[in-house]
Amino acid sequence: MIEVSDLGIKFKMGKRQRSKMFTLLFERSPNRQQPAGEFWALRHVSFTVKRGETVGIIGRNGSGKSTLLRVIAGIYPPDEGKASVDGEVSTLFGLGTGFNLELSGRDNVYLDGIMIGLTKNQIDGIIDAIINFAELGDFIDMPVRTYSSGMRSRLGFAIAIHTDSDIVLIDEIMGAGDAAFRQKAEVEMSRIMGEKTVLLVSHAIPTIEKFASRVIWLDRGIVAAMGEPKEVMEQYLAASKVKRPPPDEY
Amino acid sequence: MIEQLKKVWQKRELLWYMVRFQMKAENKNKVLGFVWSFLDPLLLLLVYIVLINIIFGRGGPDFPVLLFIALLSWRWFTSSLSRSVTSVTSKVGLVKSVRFPLAILPLSGIIIGFFDWLFGFAILVPMLFVPQFEVSFTVNILWLPLLLLVQFIGTVGACLLMAVLGTYLSDLSNIITFLIRLGFYLSPILYSVADTVPERLTTLYMILNPFAGLLESYKNVLILGAPPNEYALWGAAVAVMAFLVGLWYFSRNEYKLVKAI
Repeated sequence: MIEVSDLGIKFKMGKRQRSKMFTLLFERSPNRQQPAGEFWALRHVSFTVKRGETVGIIGRNGSGKSTLLRVIAGIYPPDEGKASVDGEVSTLFGLGTGFNLELSGRDNVYLDGIMIGLTKNQIDGIIDAIINFAELGDFIDMPVRTYSSGMRSRLGFAIAIHTDSDIVLIDEIMGAGDAAFRQKAEVEMSRIMGEKTVLLVSHAIPTIEKFASRVIWLDRGIVAAMGEPKEVMEQYLAASKVKRPPPDEY
Repeated sequence: MIEQLKKVWQKRELLWYMVRFQMKAENKNKVLGFVWSFLDPLLLLLVYIVLINIIFGRGGPDFPVLLFIALLSWRWFTSSLSRSVTSVTSKVGLVKSVRFPLAILPLSGIIIGFFDWLFGFAILVPMLFVPQFEVSFTVNILWLPLLLLVQFIGTVGACLLMAVLGTYLSDLSNIITFLIRLGFYLSPILYSVADTVPERLTTLYMILNPFAGLLESYKNVLILGAPPNEYALWGAAVAVMAFLVGLWYFSRNEYKLVKAI
């Protein structure tokens, strides 16, 4: 279960966020008088996701979707309200962005796995399945820097689906690989969304409509609408002045 | 603060893997690979021996070994320091996608630095038995682990501080590079305090440079067969203070760092 109540998170604008001691030491006095501009990336966001439910999140770029997932994953601390989860959270964010390019695919699987809290033994048990699923073959022992972007995201996806936990946060990962891999990936995604509690960020309307039982529309950090996928989607598309593309385009 | 230590301890396996894989990645494309871990300090040592022993004609028979142990320890401290400044910003992808104790980032740099120290030490040990260097072995050598521990504690403190400040201020890496270069000449590495610093200024020198007592102690216990320098105690006090301040400051700012990068 995910419970978010009156959640707010703010960022400083323009400058990097700095500590008081830092400001005191390094910043010239005029700056100290005028506080830097702040903006709320999220504010007054409240919702709950029940166990086993899949909830979609839509909204324009910069509306706070990824930030929301990061707060729930415990990466950003909230400035207001709270976000609580019961159970282990795993994240599927920008696939393979954390890879060390000089290391082999195999080493990266271990590093990634340990990173998200698995033990070496657990990884030993799933590594063959990961390599198989990612269809990397002998490339698994080559440095990741030699991989194509498709191979990289396939490996990222394979790690993610083999290490998922009760609660899965997914941010725009459906585009991995070629048509054949995509089909395979979709099967896995359906399995995850059937079994787990999922929060899914996507711009792909059919993906959301297919999997989500509810949709949250975020607009500049505020929940603009929440409810039935079809209804919310219509409102969102109307507000964005976008016509729903004909279904055969997917 | 205790909480912070616990968090890191729980993730020690991650720390270990980061160290291992980072070392692997750094050496992977080199023809000589890990051999460089031995060659690097050796070549550096050669440069200074040529400069001081041959060009300036200074330094006694034990100069190379005295210089070597001081150089290794100085290098451990400074490489950790300069790594820590960019330790958080260079791992943006990781920091923004997984939750883990960020202190692991500067810590892994310190541990990698310690491995470099060990590789260098492995070369130093056989040198100690070369009769020309006139090394005197005594029980004082048992102080060595304690000296290393003091240095480790102080380095952790300084690096935690640098990891935070370096994230806020990118210019810090330039400043640190300069300070390290300056510090090299202000520390008893190429010279010994007794021979070089005027006696009436010794106390002042040792107090202003808390690392000096430690460096002199390394030379004392390992090469000269003497107990640690009395100012090592001052070094230890500074190290503990740095550790507490660094830990406190890092714990306070850990979450803000994620938002700042």
